[in-house]
Amino acid sequence: MILTQQLILGVLVGGLYGLAAAGLSLTFGVLRVLNVAHGELLMLGGYGTFWLFALWQIDPFLSLLGVGPALFVLGLVLYWMLFQFVVKAHEEARIKNSLLIGFGLTLVFHTLAIRLWTADERAVTTDYAGAVVKIGVFTVPLVRLSSLVLAFAILTALHLFLAKARWGRAIRATAEDWEAAALMGIPVGRTYLLAFALGTALAGIAGGLVSVSYSISPSIGIEWTLKALIVVVLAGLGSLFGSFAGGILLGLAEATSVVFLGGPYREVVGLVLFLIVLLVRPQGLFGDRG
Amino acid sequence: MLEVERLEVSYGALAALHGVSLTIRPGETVALVGPNGAGKSTLLKTIVGLLVPRAGVIRWEGIPVSAEPPHRIIERGVALVPEGRRLFARMTVRENLELGAFAKRAQRERRAQLERVYTIFPRLLERERQLAGSLSGGEQQMLALGRALMGLPRLLLLDEPSLGLAPRVVESIFSVLAELHREGMSLFIVEQNVQAVLTLAQRAYILEGGRIVGEGEGQRLLQDDHVRAAYLGPLARGASS
Amino acid sequence: MLAAGFAGFPLVTARNDLLNLGIQIFLAVALAESWNLLGGYAGQITLGHAAFFGLGALVTRTLWVGGAPLSVALAAGALVATAFGVLIGGPAFRLRGAYFAIGTLGLAEILRITVGNLMPEISTIPVTALASYDLVPRYYLTLALAMFSVAVVAVLVRSRVGLGMQAVREDEAAAEASGVGAFRHKLLALVLSTALAGLAGGAFAYYHVSYYPQHAFSPAWTFDAVLIAFIGGVGTVHGPVLGALFYVIAKEVLAVQLVEVHLLIFGVLFLLVVLLLPGGLVEAWSRARRLITRNS
Repeated sequence: MILTQQLILGVLVGGLYGLAAAGLSLTFGVLRVLNVAHGELLMLGGYGTFWLFALWQIDPFLSLLGVGPALFVLGLVLYWMLFQFVVKAHEEARIKNSLLIGFGLTLVFHTLAIRLWTADERAVTTDYAGAVVKIGVFTVPLVRLSSLVLAFAILTALHLFLAKARWGRAIRATAEDWEAAALMGIPVGRTYLLAFALGTALAGIAGGLVSVSYSISPSIGIEWTLKALIVVVLAGLGSLFGSFAGGILLGLAEATSVVFLGGPYREVVGLVLFLIVLLVRPQGLFGDRG
Repeated sequence: MLEVERLEVSYGALAALHGVSLTIRPGETVALVGPNGAGKSTLLKTIVGLLVPRAGVIRWEGIPVSAEPPHRIIERGVALVPEGRRLFARMTVRENLELGAFAKRAQRERRAQLERVYTIFPRLLERERQLAGSLSGGEQQMLALGRALMGLPRLLLLDEPSLGLAPRVVESIFSVLAELHREGMSLFIVEQNVQAVLTLAQRAYILEGGRIVGEGEGQRLLQDDHVRAAYLGPLARGASS
Repeated sequence: MLAAGFAGFPLVTARNDLLNLGIQIFLAVALAESWNLLGGYAGQITLGHAAFFGLGALVTRTLWVGGAPLSVALAAGALVATAFGVLIGGPAFRLRGAYFAIGTLGLAEILRITVGNLMPEISTIPVTALASYDLVPRYYLTLALAMFSVAVVAVLVRSRVGLGMQAVREDEAAAEASGVGAFRHKLLALVLSTALAGLAGGAFAYYHVSYYPQHAFSPAWTFDAVLIAFIGGVGTVHGPVLGALFYVIAKEVLAVQLVEVHLLIFGVLFLLVVLLLPGGLVEAWSRARRLITRNS
């Protein structure tokens, strides 16, 4: 009973894990760049949603229409200023440098957030914040359910974009073989830019959903970067829905551990799973590439 | 149409091409033969912009293009069918073909050109929804060629089109190339199967050790003693097996 | 020469704040040099360095507070840290680049959370020891540790083993092909790195009057090490020294004004270094010298 209730909550948070991971998976899969500041971008998106609500009472779900594009632009800027220099190197150096750049960005954004908004926890509490949906004897918080549905919808939209649109296919082609993509007349630099900005926007939207479904503070950056990394490793690269499923899996694993091991070890379960999969099956459970 | 003047290309400290010069006139089919490691692929990659030369010029219709990125050169009307085909294995046949028409110039004609490619290669229409990685060697070469054609090129570069293919398949590929030539497309073909390519080409260059060591008409080179000794002996046997 | 100056210092002054500053600098040097060994010379970027610092601190603290002589406690701390490093080294090095970095981060986090759960209470030096608490021996200990870590790196750089490590850093496949056993060299770098980190952790445990045990496992220590190594000049012998001096002193100066702003500035500096001046302060210094000698 308690387990099922916890599992439901686990699925709800897992959807957001998956959304966060999808953005990271996109940038890692296409640019072969590991932006460890991904969680910080999520945090920024969360604060964007929070302040839009706190200052102008804009409904958080609605404000995503602003937060998403805003983070998209931030992604453009970050790529233009920093990451475009990283992609010029070959793979090993690329990953190393992107790790370092991401690390530097993490520090900058983290301390900037603390300076601007203090280290206090914030949450967006709307009128409907406490509403729940009752399924039998279990309660499902409406806000979290909506977030899950929205996350899934966004991933579906992105999937369609990648499958059908000219630039979406260009992204997939570049991810698979950038030289062959260049031979198709695809401007590789611009494709990287697009993929990176999209990944950043996804992080921002996930952050917005986190601010309304849970709470945010400057320190959630590193937390969510790790979550996204865990899911990316669990699920592998190459599939958005794989990331989503991986996120749900992580949520379920955490929920199970909370019931049997207690709250304090919740994070550890994810990390242990993460290490096991890293060592045993680095290409992930659903992925097609390492 | 295409002029290469005293091209010098290096991989880091390793020089691959030394003072290579050649020309390709509109409507010509030109072959490039030479031993492995001579730098033939390097030359094609440099023409299409994947490599930047250390010295020398590449001119396309009079315009110097050696510093341009690949997508710009593709837009100008050059296409490369790379060695090993480099298909997008995880995408379908149709997606591969449609990607070939990414350039703005080719986008407009996409539907019509797709029909054309399916007419030339009916097998591709059959396998439209299959993943490119699941095709046979010959089908993959057809797809690679069809994909390049989707870009509406005026000069088509081919790097070892017959590599790893059965003789009958090689025949059919070359007959398609011959048809393209008859329709006025310029072709520049790097090929190990000297017999097949010199029969098709009007002119040919010989590249050895990063230098052009010979040039001449296709048929005449076929008769040349040096060429026969170096490239035709073992290869002639290989081609007919 | 610098070391001699530092050594003579406590004889001249008894100002506790300066002694504290010195201790922090020396700890930073040791921490950064130990990371530099593995990350800078062997090229294995690890983000889990705090794990070994924390283990050294944990073991040393437990033994020393429990009554064991300091030298034993320190040695045990370093030993446990190294043992853990060897334990994970095998599987960890099967991961490449990014996966190695985040894998080590994950490992450090697991340790931190577990220690935090098992030992949530603050650890304080017993009252008896508090009465005789003196900064001076701690000063000399950390100074010795800093000098030792610099010496280890300096010796290593010139040795055949050290050159092998750098070959692995530049191109692992090529190094392997030319007979340099990549795994052996990486493991050796890991052993030395973790041993030094463990000693630094032990010194930290000896120095701090009270702290939460999990604090020594905080990723902040890894970040400090990486920042200092890079800003000073990663992959050089003296880079971490310059970086530590710069970092700790700047931190002190800036802390007067605003909390945590120093991290913001260092973050930006770090980005600039990675992109524009990979050699850090060391490179800036040598460039400046060449400029001066050319114009004089």
